[in-house]
Amino acid sequence: MTENEKMNTKLGTVISGSLTQGVHVKLDPARSVEDVTVGRYVAIQGEKKRFFGMITDISLEAVDPRAMVMPPDISVPLIAKVVSGTTTYGKLSVLPMLTISGVAGDTEGPQPAKTVPPHFARVELASQSDVQRVFGKEDKQRFYVGTPLDMETRICLDMVELVKRSNGVFGKSGTGKTFLTRLLLIGMLQKSRTTSLIFDMHNEYGWEGTSEKDHKVKGLKQLFPGKVAVFSLDEKYDQRRKVKSDFVVKIGYDEIEPEDMQMLRSVLNLTDLAVQAVYELARYFGDDKWLQSTLDLFDSGDKEFAGKHNIAEGTWKNLLRGLQMLQRFKFLVPHAPENTVTTILEYISHGKSVVLQFGGYDDIAAYVLVANLLTRRIYDRYREMVDIAISADSKKPDQLVITIEEAHRFLNPEISSQTIFGKIAREMRKYNVTMLVIDQRPSGIDEEVMSQLGTKITCLLDNEKDVDTVLTGVSGKSELKSVLSKLDSKQQALIFGHALPMPVVVKVREYGSADSYKELGPSSPGDSTRKTDGLDDLWG
Amino acid sequence: MVVEQKIAEVIETSNSEFLAECYDLDNVPALGSMVRTKGKGCQIYGIVYVSATHSIEPGRRIAARGKAATSEADVFKANPQLAKLLCSDFKALVVGHSQDKAIYQYLPPSPASIYSFVYACSPVEVKQFTQSLNFLNLMIESRSTVAPDEVIAAFLRYASLTHPVPEEFLVKAGKELAWTLSNDMRRLDSILKRL
Amino acid sequence: MTLDITQVYSQIEAMAGDLKSHQSDYAQKLELAQTTLKSIPPHQDRLKKKIEDARATWLVAGLKEEISLHRAAVPCPDDFMVVASDGSHIDVDRHHSTRLFLLNIGLVELQYGSKPDAELLSLPTLYFGDEMQAIRSGDGKQALIEGQLLGIKRGVEECRGLADRVCGGETDLPVVGLIDGSLIMWGLVGQRYDDFIVEQLLDEGLLKQFDRFYELNGKRKAVIASYISFPRSADVVNALRLQICPYDPVDCDNKNCKGKFEGRGCDVVGGVLDRAVFAGMLSDGERSAVFSSRSSIIERYGVHQVCFFYLKLEEEVARVEVPLWVADNNKLLDLVHAVIVDQCHKGFGYPVSLSEAHEQAVVTGADREQFWDLVDRVMQEGSLAVQQSLKQRSKKTKWL
Repeated sequence: MTENEKMNTKLGTVISGSLTQGVHVKLDPARSVEDVTVGRYVAIQGEKKRFFGMITDISLEAVDPRAMVMPPDISVPLIAKVVSGTTTYGKLSVLPMLTISGVAGDTEGPQPAKTVPPHFARVELASQSDVQRVFGKEDKQRFYVGTPLDMETRICLDMVELVKRSNGVFGKSGTGKTFLTRLLLIGMLQKSRTTSLIFDMHNEYGWEGTSEKDHKVKGLKQLFPGKVAVFSLDEKYDQRRKVKSDFVVKIGYDEIEPEDMQMLRSVLNLTDLAVQAVYELARYFGDDKWLQSTLDLFDSGDKEFAGKHNIAEGTWKNLLRGLQMLQRFKFLVPHAPENTVTTILEYISHGKSVVLQFGGYDDIAAYVLVANLLTRRIYDRYREMVDIAISADSKKPDQLVITIEEAHRFLNPEISSQTIFGKIAREMRKYNVTMLVIDQRPSGIDEEVMSQLGTKITCLLDNEKDVDTVLTGVSGKSELKSVLSKLDSKQQALIFGHALPMPVVVKVREYGSADSYKELGPSSPGDSTRKTDGLDDLWG
Repeated sequence: MVVEQKIAEVIETSNSEFLAECYDLDNVPALGSMVRTKGKGCQIYGIVYVSATHSIEPGRRIAARGKAATSEADVFKANPQLAKLLCSDFKALVVGHSQDKAIYQYLPPSPASIYSFVYACSPVEVKQFTQSLNFLNLMIESRSTVAPDEVIAAFLRYASLTHPVPEEFLVKAGKELAWTLSNDMRRLDSILKRL
Repeated sequence: MTLDITQVYSQIEAMAGDLKSHQSDYAQKLELAQTTLKSIPPHQDRLKKKIEDARATWLVAGLKEEISLHRAAVPCPDDFMVVASDGSHIDVDRHHSTRLFLLNIGLVELQYGSKPDAELLSLPTLYFGDEMQAIRSGDGKQALIEGQLLGIKRGVEECRGLADRVCGGETDLPVVGLIDGSLIMWGLVGQRYDDFIVEQLLDEGLLKQFDRFYELNGKRKAVIASYISFPRSADVVNALRLQICPYDPVDCDNKNCKGKFEGRGCDVVGGVLDRAVFAGMLSDGERSAVFSSRSSIIERYGVHQVCFFYLKLEEEVARVEVPLWVADNNKLLDLVHAVIVDQCHKGFGYPVSLSEAHEQAVVTGADREQFWDLVDRVMQEGSLAVQQSLKQRSKKTKWL
């Protein structure tokens, strides 16, 4: 590196700090505070080690407090240039996170930082090679998700490692959660043998979706026609969009169990007593017949039944209203011609991911009902398969990732202990089923579930409670907090957790242009073993 | 090689400054310009901080003589003795010295020699000398000049022109000042506004 | 206790009153003098003869031009030079063990015109040892130079410096040499100095310098003149006395007015000075007629016989003295007249060259002290004993 280049990367010098709170760096006079941003990576060259860290805060300091009372006249350009870095200077807070080998030839990978760099150590912007040393290169397991702020280096996620645990994508509305999720799903398809079941409430994953700028972006089915099947709940929607789904999902009344009603309690506005009544009805009529029978009772106007079974009239009416809402869903039929669960599992067992489009039913009640109902059954079957594989000592089924949106509906503290999703989050890792939860209000999700999420990918959050929840249990929480709340509202995300050696803010890679599709298809850089899929001709 | 033109001669000298009488009346180096003279075994650099033209005899008042003259030059024509009775001199603040081609931006071990000739520094010399700006301290701390800030500003303006990018030089110099004057914003401001 | 100024005050008051009482008396006398002067007919032969024949108590001016003449100055030449000389001295200090004196001659050369230039010089000379400090005769007599004699010696040296400067020049521009004071060696008048002294100082000294100027006129116009500011002379008024005097021939002391100090016929203009008479008769820049000095010492001056005229300036009437060869040459006379008027104009009333020469020559009290200190120091360094009189010591140190 020439002297000149050194000058160009130098940011400043360490002036104070601690391991827990991070070190303070005086910004070099040649640098403007406006040129550095929170979340950027820096490398600090200590005497023996090279530290890798992230800018977590930027502050303005003055050598002489009087300068604040009598500010220099910075309308004169020269004065403005002179006082910056001298009388006044910028101070960066840097959280040293890792030590990366300081000595040439040291092959030891990044280690968590256990000390701080010495006084006046030189701080520079992390170089491409620094970043690569930390996050690894794009290869057959690592998927490029984006670049660090103001850098060109690609940040990669080890997809194989990622899907071993449940993960979360958070961010307030409009910050690009869908976009990110789509990318992650592509990454899974490209870099791992994972199959996905995606409950696609807003029809964004299978076929073309619209990006924020209203131009259409390709869906998974278009990029991976051989590895993705689109299931639909709404034929009419498919007809309007002129797409042909692989399978039209119908759910029979006989498939809806009292547990499903419990999940729907809040979305259908059922009282606790109404839910109890459902259990009562199921006991009386049987799990598979209770709904049909109850609806018949309502149709016949029978009022004695309720009285006989100690169901208050208010409760009965409440239940009636709830069930009438369900009847609006055309995908509910008294008896489904094909078992959806079985079909999904069939696809999955052939390595095909399934996108379940809700079509016109972008209604939370439909979503909760279907997601819950299908997941519970798939979970049971998967568990069975795994148990069998274990006892037969044969190969376990491939990793399955279930993607759900509006996750707080399933994972809020009141019901998470009872729902299947709570269960998956807590224990299903060993059964090769994990979740990708997507939510804009992470504070609504049970803390215990949150703590089980391996990797969290979060876009801008501005609610204090949401930020706190997402960062629970992360080291350097307060520093990350300032980073998180300062993310751009588009295309930027903080990623931290299991799949990464340290938290990282990325500018999410481009998705949607013709160029981007070249690298987002089935074969991509580092993907040498393209999986060929014997099932292609079945649906061709 | 250009023969250097000496402009003055040292007639009073101390470690920190010297007084030099100009050979030509009214032809004094500009305020803030850089001059060079000799000391024991070294070249001494100074910055002109005050210059004056006055009667050579203390206490002899100069009278106005031009009432009937049509031009200022006529005054000298009609009174040729004036040129001999007046003299111009200037005081320079010592800001460094050079010995064996190395430049030191601190006071020389001994003052400039009395009667040593004084030369105006060439732009090349000024540029060389101002590669480093440690000497600004000497100027800021100087108690001899009534308006050190004016002198500093004048010098920096003059020196900046010898650098390829004057603006850059001024910023660098300004920062140097800012370090030294970190506890005196007002003064810093006033100097910078003169640049 | 030093001078008690309160005691002097009443005496000053008395003096002022006395002067005031004489004021109208004086105005009358002045008017009479002026009237008398104007009344003298142009040919003025009678007065001329009366002056020639008179044996008067007073120094009477010789008439060379019509007495009431007044003439404006001609313009200065385009290019010309003025050289002026002045001197000062440190006299022998009786209280100091070493006998020596110092002359400092200030010289100023000013060139006007197309190539203005100036040269200002200060030429000190230390006189020590018997040879330098005495005037000796061929037959073994000698007089030590000090006091009044030193003053005369200084005058000679001023003039010598002036001549050296003018004769050493390589230009042929017209030049006016100026000295301050009189061309007449008044110091020698009335004192009974041995003849060798007069010879050395005047014949061999001053007049030799005049000769050098005179000789220079072969190749360029060169004039020597002296300038007397605020002159107290009454030569012309004394001539008026003769005009008034009822006796002819005049012989005041022996016959006409023997033993009288007051009430003489001519006392009606007594006490009036020449400058007062001409102040009322000349316009600015005008000169009076040229007169000749009839002082006894003038006999020795020969061709350099001193002539003079009065010059009206803005603030005063000055007296300018020139040698006869200048007075007789209209061109030279005009040159002197023009240049001095110009010099006075440039010098705010006093010839600028002379005032600068004075500045060059002047020896201040501090200079004097420094001089003696330096002498002492150098002598001590040379292991020469220095003795001071006790009186000198007591002046320096005031005991309590």
